[in-house]
Amino acid sequence: MTLADVKPGQSGKIVKIQITGALKRRLMDMGVVAGTVVRVEKVAPLGDPLEVQIKSYQLSLRKAEADKIEVEAVR
Amino acid sequence: MIIEEEKNKSGQGAASNHRASFVIAVAGNPNAGKSTLINAMAGARLQVGNWPGVTVEKKSAEFEYEGRRIILVDLPGTYSLSPYSQEEVIARDYLVHERPDVIINVVDATNLERNLYFTLQLLELEIPLIVALNMYDEAGQKGFRIDTAKMASMLGCAVVPTVATRREGVDRLIETAVEFAESSNRREMMAVSYGEDIEKAVRSIVEDMKQHGAELVNHGPSRWQALKIIETDEIVLDEMGISADDNFLKQATHHLSKAHGEDLETLLADTRYALAAGLTREALKKPETRKRELTERIDAIVLNRYLGIPIFLFFMWLIFKLTFDIAGPFTEWFDAVISGPLTHWSAAVMTLAGAPDWAISLVTEGVIAGVGAVLIFLPPIFAMMFFITFLEGSGYMARAAFVMDRMMHAIGLHGKSFIPLLLGFGCNVPAVYATRTLENPRDKALTALLIPLMSCGARLPVYLLFVGVFFSAYAGTVLWSLYILGIILAVMVGWIFKKTLFRGEAPVFIMELPPYRMPTMTSLLIHTWEKGKHYLIKAGTFILAITICIWFGLNLPWGVESKRDSYLGHIGQAAAPVFAPLGFGTWEAASSLITGVIAKEIVVSTMGEVYTPKDGDDKEKNAPSVSEELKQIGVSFVGAVGKAVGNVFSTFGIATISMEEEEGTESLKTAIKKNFTPLSAYAFMAFVLLYVPCFIVLVAMRHEFGTWKWAGVTIAYQSVLAWTVSFIIYQGGTLIGIG
Repeated sequence: MTLADVKPGQSGKIVKIQITGALKRRLMDMGVVAGTVVRVEKVAPLGDPLEVQIKSYQLSLRKAEADKIEVEAVR
Repeated sequence: MIIEEEKNKSGQGAASNHRASFVIAVAGNPNAGKSTLINAMAGARLQVGNWPGVTVEKKSAEFEYEGRRIILVDLPGTYSLSPYSQEEVIARDYLVHERPDVIINVVDATNLERNLYFTLQLLELEIPLIVALNMYDEAGQKGFRIDTAKMASMLGCAVVPTVATRREGVDRLIETAVEFAESSNRREMMAVSYGEDIEKAVRSIVEDMKQHGAELVNHGPSRWQALKIIETDEIVLDEMGISADDNFLKQATHHLSKAHGEDLETLLADTRYALAAGLTREALKKPETRKRELTERIDAIVLNRYLGIPIFLFFMWLIFKLTFDIAGPFTEWFDAVISGPLTHWSAAVMTLAGAPDWAISLVTEGVIAGVGAVLIFLPPIFAMMFFITFLEGSGYMARAAFVMDRMMHAIGLHGKSFIPLLLGFGCNVPAVYATRTLENPRDKALTALLIPLMSCGARLPVYLLFVGVFFSAYAGTVLWSLYILGIILAVMVGWIFKKTLFRGEAPVFIMELPPYRMPTMTSLLIHTWEKGKHYLIKAGTFILAITICIWFGLNLPWGVESKRDSYLGHIGQAAAPVFAPLGFGTWEAASSLITGVIAKEIVVSTMGEVYTPKDGDDKEKNAPSVSEELKQIGVSFVGAVGKAVGNVFSTFGIATISMEEEEGTESLKTAIKKNFTPLSAYAFMAFVLLYVPCFIVLVAMRHEFGTWKWAGVTIAYQSVLAWTVSFIIYQGGTLIGIG
């Protein structure tokens, strides 16, 4: 399951980032690190990007990137 | 470069307790309130310039503090010392290479964990560090209790709570910075440990580096270097002259990678975040039950699935209206004062002094007209900067990008590109400046290239003249078709540029949505004023010079009776055949297009001059007295203020394109009817829409990007586009028999 599959209002715990290089680095710098719980808040009106809550702030990223972030469901 | 010299000077006296001068760098995450804090610390002493070689804004200030000279340098907001954007590279390079005497790290007290992640990286630089725990009041309102003493002892640095918007804590911050710069006690900074495994690897790399000799050691503190080697940070490795598959590197990280299996960059990021989380847990007490915050409540509406776009469009409409409604009366006032009293006073004074005709003409039609050309753009630039700064400072700009990203992404742009493009419909000049909100140079350039395709207000008089002559029955439809043509072409050109000029560069969209905050009036005004001032000085000089050159072009060789015989007229005659396949291959049309480069509405007045030569009787009107005119300038200024205020209140009234303004005299209309057909008139309007923007837009591009490159690309692609489109319209129309 990836972050792109998580429905708004639900959360996921990050398992692995399937991205490499500078982009992965940037995601990690923004707090997207393994073990962190992410809650999907909203999908933009036109269907992309997503708004998620992570490390108690709001982050927005496109589905293309979210799809490469592996998560496991949390309740 | 004054700053560097100062730093070197101060560096020599580092051992002494009372130092003459030193450098304080202010660093922190974006949206932590860094700008506001800098404004509060520096006040009116703040200087805004650019970082060398790039167009990223650099703010700095120099001031006296109890007999010492302090140089304050604001670094662009950054999330990490492993840079990603142009801004972050600047911040990183400055900290690593210039090594300021003290770093003030602005930390958002409401978002400790992510901010502390950066703090931990700053600590590795082993430069005395002070954490400015900003927005302390907001954290308090949320029920956060932060143990600053505990935080300070855990981090091994000073922690000063601040509320930048109210100047609270700012004096203590400066005091502490001075204290830190002067004390030689820097040992305690090593308080944070990354765990035995990593620390052991660090120690062994440091040992190895010492054996390798000096060339490895001179690029920052050795512990920091060792950490960067473990992370395989390409910039640091490059600076040290180590390649990524170097044996030294493999040996150094061998043990760690064996033990942890994954890439070590991830290991270190995880470790730092775990530390930041631990520090946050220790120092921060959050209330048990969390209130639904204001930001969430606003976003529930503003980013709503159905309301999001209508609300965004409403805000954009509002800003567009306010920008041009407030600026409009002042632009008219500048125009009236300059072309009226100022022009004939100068003429009168020069006549009295016995100046020759050509000199009077040069001053009034060259210099004063040039000054006028600079000043009339000042009101919209001020107004636009004010609203854009408000959008950014309030946090809505990020939402605008969020809402529009899907659509703009389709043509290779960023969500934020929408706003500059929209402003382009009012005036392309402030729109070019509005590309400032785009952080990525690629997005910024691509957006600026498309702005001239947005039909600005100055093109409207040209359309109105031709529509009035040929298409009065369906004026609205024809006008709209031109605006739509511009938009469709922008989408196409954007797509082509994405596939050609900007191929292979596809920046991603990873953006913080900061909490909504009310920007302070001071910081809004400082930004607005700085932008306007820069435009006046930097762009103004160019604009003035070019206006004077054009004057020479229109008036040389001296004594020309008709504009046809001037240099520009000759160029017009020579250029005419180029326009023949488009249906308007006359020297009159060509000349007006050439002068239209000054400002597109000048196409109309040039046509008036070349099609209907003046009899010369309109010059001598009853000249009003100087005192009457002075009074009139004052009265009309008050009138402009009144009108601007009135416009703000009437914004909610019905907005329509004012058609009552009669453009052009009857004789000009007759001449145009004789020289154009409806088809060639439409081709001409399309050409005016698409051909090179006025030179002020080009100067603005030069000013904003620090290079003529993008202005050049604009000239090239627009010339080709305008000619091709007009050709298709005219020849296609002729083929199907509309001509």
